[in-house]
Amino acid sequence: MNNRVRELRAANGWSQAELAERLDVSRQTVNAIETGKYDPSLPLAFAIARLFGEPIETLFNPDA
Amino acid sequence: MARPTRTPHRLRGCLIASLAYLATTGLCVWLLRDVLSGAPSGLRAVVSLLPIIPIGFTIREVLHLVRDSDELQRRIDLESLATAALAVGLACLSLGLLVGADVVEISGKTVLNWVFPALSVTYLAARVRAQRRYR
Repeated sequence: MNNRVRELRAANGWSQAELAERLDVSRQTVNAIETGKYDPSLPLAFAIARLFGEPIETLFNPDA
Repeated sequence: MARPTRTPHRLRGCLIASLAYLATTGLCVWLLRDVLSGAPSGLRAVVSLLPIIPIGFTIREVLHLVRDSDELQRRIDLESLATAALAVGLACLSLGLLVGADVVEISGKTVLNWVFPALSVTYLAARVRAQRRYR
């Protein structure tokens, strides 16, 4: 699944570690989500969307 | 601060506990065979169960490992535990079939003593592999 997490993280000027801290996950999890190797659970996806202030469907694209 | 990654610390603990288990097992075998051969069965039972102590420590470390992890790490642990359980189970089944066919000869005692170390080592190897996949 494609996502815009890396793009939005960079726009906010956060490192992977900083984003991981805000989401209470490990840096490895953030990296795996950004590279598309891991699709987050629904609660985590909502937490990411809430953090960036974006609707969840604009963050994650299941068709890609 | 981000979720603390205590995985290497916990895995090291598991490895040390597994090595302690092997050492304790060797010590117990020696004690029971050469030192306590004529001792009361109660004392022999206590000595023979000494390896359970490091095993208990291993189980504690694994439980902490899973409890401290986030959802990706839990998935990695689940995959690793499933891989280890299936691999060791399959190895035991294969060994059982070979023993049944008189192709190999191995005592049940030996097999039972090696199940837990085999599970631990296979789990660690599977975990390293799974971790690499999500890197």
